[in-house]
Amino acid sequence: MKTVLIIFKKELIDSIRDRRTLIAMIVVPLLLFPLLISISSNMLISQARKAQQKTLKIAVLTGGIGNRSIHADAFERSLAKRDDVELIKGITENEGKALVRSDSLDAVIVFDLEFDDTVADLGQGVITMYHKSTESAGIEKGRVRNFLDELEEELQAERFANLDLDVSIVETVTIKERNLASTKERIAEEIGGLLPYLIIIFCFMGSMYPAIDLAAGEKERGTLETLLTSPAGRLEILLGKFGVVMLTGLLTAVISIFGMYLGVRASSEIPPEILSAILNMLELRSVFLLLSLLLPLTIFFAAILLSLSLFARSFKEAQSIINPLMIVIIVPAFVGLMPGMELNTKTALIPILNVSLATKEIIAGTITPFILAEVYLSLIALAVISLIYCKWVFGRESTIFRGT
Amino acid sequence: MIEVKDLWKTFRLSREQKKERNGPTAGRGNGNVDAVAGVSFTCQPGRIFSLLGPNGAGKTTTLRMIATLLKPTSGSIKVAGYDVVKNPQEVQRRIGFLTGSTKLYDRLNPNELVKYYADLHGMDKNKFKKRKEELFALLGMNDFAKRRIGKLSSGMKQKVSIVRTIIHDPEIVVFDEPTVGLDVVTAKNIIELIRSCKQQGKTVIFSTHIMGEVSLLSDDLAIIHNGRLAFGGSYDEFRGQMQTDSLEEEFIRFLEGARQ
Repeated sequence: MKTVLIIFKKELIDSIRDRRTLIAMIVVPLLLFPLLISISSNMLISQARKAQQKTLKIAVLTGGIGNRSIHADAFERSLAKRDDVELIKGITENEGKALVRSDSLDAVIVFDLEFDDTVADLGQGVITMYHKSTESAGIEKGRVRNFLDELEEELQAERFANLDLDVSIVETVTIKERNLASTKERIAEEIGGLLPYLIIIFCFMGSMYPAIDLAAGEKERGTLETLLTSPAGRLEILLGKFGVVMLTGLLTAVISIFGMYLGVRASSEIPPEILSAILNMLELRSVFLLLSLLLPLTIFFAAILLSLSLFARSFKEAQSIINPLMIVIIVPAFVGLMPGMELNTKTALIPILNVSLATKEIIAGTITPFILAEVYLSLIALAVISLIYCKWVFGRESTIFRGT
Repeated sequence: MIEVKDLWKTFRLSREQKKERNGPTAGRGNGNVDAVAGVSFTCQPGRIFSLLGPNGAGKTTTLRMIATLLKPTSGSIKVAGYDVVKNPQEVQRRIGFLTGSTKLYDRLNPNELVKYYADLHGMDKNKFKKRKEELFALLGMNDFAKRRIGKLSSGMKQKVSIVRTIIHDPEIVVFDEPTVGLDVVTAKNIIELIRSCKQQGKTVIFSTHIMGEVSLLSDDLAIIHNGRLAFGGSYDEFRGQMQTDSLEEEFIRFLEGARQ
């Protein structure tokens, strides 16, 4: 044990003096979250504000050849009174559609030629709305829809008044919708998947450089040979190195959580409801549970990274072997982000994905002890297997002296 | 003392190596190569033993087996009376190992590096302090003892390597082509180290393909070629039986003899 500590101490000093490790472990995770949060929230909010405040360009037309609809004229007049609408006149339906396609017009509203007659005969008048929906245009479309809804309500009220009826008689059912998911659960569903995804990747990235340097780097320098001629046992050497790789991975994850906390705290643009939900997510119990899941996962990362790095002949070769592995890590973490993916007895057994999904449930506060235990067991089994594999790799002459 | 008896080391060839290989040593069985084939010799304390051979002769493999880095396929090696397979840790406690290609940890300073190896050898604090002071003073290392190794000159680095190798005062010192790639001045430090080890009564084995170093240092020598021993005996015996005018020519004569 004493020898393991000697090696651990030396490797730790050596690693934290490496600028690359420091950048990957501290600088990137600490700065990335605050930057991501402030940039994305500012962008989203300013886009939404822009779409909300924008003057809408609308053309109101009557379809086909014939007299212009009276209702269309009335609707046009009501829009003309608004400050946030600019009416475009004197164009045909086809010209209007082309202008919408080229983003010169926000909407073209076409009243059917028989609209007035149909409405007068107590039928359903048809209004066609041409629009182009992309991300922010959703808000614009909603605003135009509101104008049309108002028109519909007016016509409805008029029709019922003529018939001497109360509007409420057509409403046979009143649906009262109450979403019982707590804000915490909704937030967990929306952004809860993103958090473990990023933390898992940070954890992997943090372990990467030390693993490459402490195995392939040492092989390339030839120092591994001299280390192996010392009385330190192979397992002791491996455990010392392993400890440092694991610690840096875990520290990177912790620093990234801290970075996120700082980012959320510093951002003034986040609505208070969401802010308190995110801060709730970062409560001690959730963070502690998340870290306890990350611990066996880090063991797995460290063992795999060290094994691959030991196999490589040089630092560069190790990088080219390990970089594609990043995708293998990202895919299951990413799958956890997909809607409909749930933690069950099967997904609890899939490494990385299980951490991703379990974290989501931990944040939502809906995880059950049985599933959590299954996730732990699967992760611990994986950690043990990968550690045994790493020890086997380190004991092989053909790996240690590959290419020499 | 180092006793090597009928030492064999067989490596399994990879598919590419099998394709590329057109060397003479077929190995015992398909797809194998004998890097060391039935080598025996003894290195005595207080004497310098040279292992001479061209590149790929099996010198490094032999020294790696002596230093417990590789396990012999068959045969035996005893270092200071301990078998390298049965008691590797006892052997490791008693040897110092230096190779010409070995670099150091650039982000540590000489003080930290030497302490690291002393700690790995379980050295007593006071003994370490005394020995470190002696060696640092002897090699003039105090001026750069706290400077990062990455910022040192190659001569300074070589001195750190020397102290790293002998900090625990090993009774056996193994040098694998220790002067390879060094300039004359830096190589001189190594030659002096080898000589001082001999004066202290240590067992010294070093591998080289430079005849000049052999004539300068050797008490005993073995010529190894294609994993087999082409000559084994004292340096005086080697000189006594010479049939050519120079050491180089005699060395080549032995290699050609081994080939036939």
